[in-house]
Amino acid sequence: MRRLALSLILLAGACVASPASANPPDTFGFGSRETAMGGAVAAETRGFAASYYNPAALARSRGLEVGIGYFRADHSLEMNGRDNGVDPVKGMNAGVVVPGTLLGIPFAFGIALHLPDDRISRVRALRQEQPRWELYDNRNQRLFLAANLAIEPVPWLWIGGGLSFMSSTRGRLDISGGANVFRPDDSRLRHEVDADLTAVRYPQGGVRVALGPRVALAAVYRGEFQLGLDLSAHLFGDISGLTTALYALQTRSINNFLPQQVVLGASWAVTDRLKTTFDATWIDWSAYVAPVARLDAVLDIPPPPSGWPSTVTPPTTPAPTRIAPLRMYDRVVPRVGVEWHALGERKNKGFLRAGYELAKSPIAAQNGATNYVDRDRHTISLGIGGRFEDLLPELPGALLLDGHVQLSELPTEATLKASPADLVGDYTAGGRILNVGITAGFAFEKKDAPSAPARGTR
Amino acid sequence: MNMQEPRLRRAALPSVIAVLSVLAACATTGAEGEGDRNLPTAGVGPFRELEAEEMKGLAPFVFEDPKALYREPAVLRDGGSTLLYAVARVDGKDVIVRTRALDDRTFFGTSGHFGQKPHIVLEPDKLWEQALSGPSVVRFRGDILLFYSGAEGIGLARSADGVSFRKEPGPIFSRDPVPGSWEPAAPRAPSVYVLPDGRLRMFYAAGPAVGEAESDDGIEWRRLRTGPVLAPAEPPSAGSLLPNERPPFDGASVGDPCVVTRTTPAGRFHVRVLYTGADATGATAIGLAARYGETGPLVRQPAPVYSVGQNEAAPALLELGDSSYVYVHQDRRDGNDTFVAIAAAFAPANMKLPPPGDFPDSP
Repeated sequence: MRRLALSLILLAGACVASPASANPPDTFGFGSRETAMGGAVAAETRGFAASYYNPAALARSRGLEVGIGYFRADHSLEMNGRDNGVDPVKGMNAGVVVPGTLLGIPFAFGIALHLPDDRISRVRALRQEQPRWELYDNRNQRLFLAANLAIEPVPWLWIGGGLSFMSSTRGRLDISGGANVFRPDDSRLRHEVDADLTAVRYPQGGVRVALGPRVALAAVYRGEFQLGLDLSAHLFGDISGLTTALYALQTRSINNFLPQQVVLGASWAVTDRLKTTFDATWIDWSAYVAPVARLDAVLDIPPPPSGWPSTVTPPTTPAPTRIAPLRMYDRVVPRVGVEWHALGERKNKGFLRAGYELAKSPIAAQNGATNYVDRDRHTISLGIGGRFEDLLPELPGALLLDGHVQLSELPTEATLKASPADLVGDYTAGGRILNVGITAGFAFEKKDAPSAPARGTR
Repeated sequence: MNMQEPRLRRAALPSVIAVLSVLAACATTGAEGEGDRNLPTAGVGPFRELEAEEMKGLAPFVFEDPKALYREPAVLRDGGSTLLYAVARVDGKDVIVRTRALDDRTFFGTSGHFGQKPHIVLEPDKLWEQALSGPSVVRFRGDILLFYSGAEGIGLARSADGVSFRKEPGPIFSRDPVPGSWEPAAPRAPSVYVLPDGRLRMFYAAGPAVGEAESDDGIEWRRLRTGPVLAPAEPPSAGSLLPNERPPFDGASVGDPCVVTRTTPAGRFHVRVLYTGADATGATAIGLAARYGETGPLVRQPAPVYSVGQNEAAPALLELGDSSYVYVHQDRRDGNDTFVAIAAAFAPANMKLPPPGDFPDSP
């Protein structure tokens, strides 16, 4: 009873975080073993990858586990048969799992990190009419950092949860003083910049149930997350003693919206050497907020006493942005995976893996003014892995080496514009994404712990 | 329990932290990023004015002369050259001149091209040709056809080389004789294109609207509709405008059509028309109207594709695959004086042009 109460407390703790983009792991996986199995691993993951796929599975580790890997996903995404130069997503995946016991209950703490090569995060607020690969252009260009805690209250149950972290931006720019339009170098302007990077957290939690030695079920929840970008500018001053000018600008946008997700997964060890997995992920895409900046501006330049010269056309206040709604549909993404213990019996083992994922596009047909481009995505993945136990007498544990290749195909389809006067017009779009990576890990395992995954689902 | 395990853990953790720190440091070296290459476009704007470093003369004016008052451009691609025909004032009368550029921007005979003048290709010599305006050029069956308008309608001249033209004796398209026609005046400002099957189509301005006509040979024309294909925009309904949002830029009149066609990447025949729109105050801007297919009314794009508040009018579009130019006439200020000259604008607006080339050797 005490164990159950503690489990509930931990799970509740994971869920009180404030609601906080797409994660690179959502699209490209986290860890080569899991990516090779199509990401269908909610009931099968273990080690540091569990921090993303199912935090509950962290508690499957019995000894310290560290892992580090690298992947690179290259986009060949085209519109009208021409490459759009969508930046690759590349970087390091790493994590650590530290297990222990608390009040006699096995627990584990895990940290997972995706650290991009190029940037920690990128914010883009494009005009809504500008064509962009909405789910691939910018949303995956960001850091992923998660910390989780998991327990194993009873030998058939694992519960875990934690938080992921990011930062949103608020900024203000004030400029005041006098501008000399005749001698710009004599202008006296004062600048003041005030910017806040506010921590944003979002929860994730999961549960895993072993129905026996060969079958396990899992459920995972990942919270909603969005990065806000609020910028304001306030300019006020005197123009050459002729008149004054006030320009106030406020822009608000949401970037990298990550909808909440619920994953149901299953794992079945068909034989001692063959394991199959299945995940279905519900994604709340209908709550998506388009990353378009809402712009409000005030411009007030009263005419000079002598009126405006005939050669000057005073500027007028721009109209606020009329934002066209972006309609998106909730989707269920099915994933299947298979792992075959192909080589070795005792200390050295070799694995072959494969997976498939179908991610139907959640974005409604873009036949209006907006151009949030997306297509259905069929992803197949293949991988190999090796587990080498006790390579050196002074290094007790297992060295894990995995590699993956993942190919996503986005079939080319035409977007037909309803209005012939659309400035973008009809276009075709499609392409593919190639993701290649490797992961190395080491599991310092206790000799008496039943954590070796070679048999069954435990 | 193996006593080496804690020692190894102690050794492994700092190593992992050190590796992570080094990799973290690399994460701040990113390039600006792309994702916006080769974006699709209908090729008709929005356009930006040419900038000073993209021009030989005063930006954005590519063809100007305070005496000749070049206006109402029409363009035609000719190998590596861009031919530009425009109305000019020479010896007190309006004529049509031809000039040429090798880079689409540096035209022979503009005011900065000292001592050079464009070639006069057409002069009015009949009464109906008074108030010469609105040239339009199109290739048809091996000839270059030059349509233009005069006081009584639209005329036609033909040329094999684009320099020497033979005029038809009278207007080939005049005011609609049908009683009650929507056309309150003689047609003007023609713009002609060739359908895939070889027929000719013409958009023309009449009064405040635009109509359409068809011909098999360029001589005999028949009107396609009893009404205009493009009319001024309806006034906005009460309360439909956002704060500071302006009413339609073309609520008073539409004219000066310039038509270009294409087949969209999805295989649809696409007729695009740039035009001059004017509002009730007389302010003008360049708009876009279009349709899919060979017939039917044109649909307006609510926002202008080129608007600089300088009485811009009479657009001529030059498509170059990924990019396009629009040439218009607009006010050019010179001290306290203002005169009309031909300016150029470019799309896509975020693309930078290389420095201008040399003047061609001949017009």
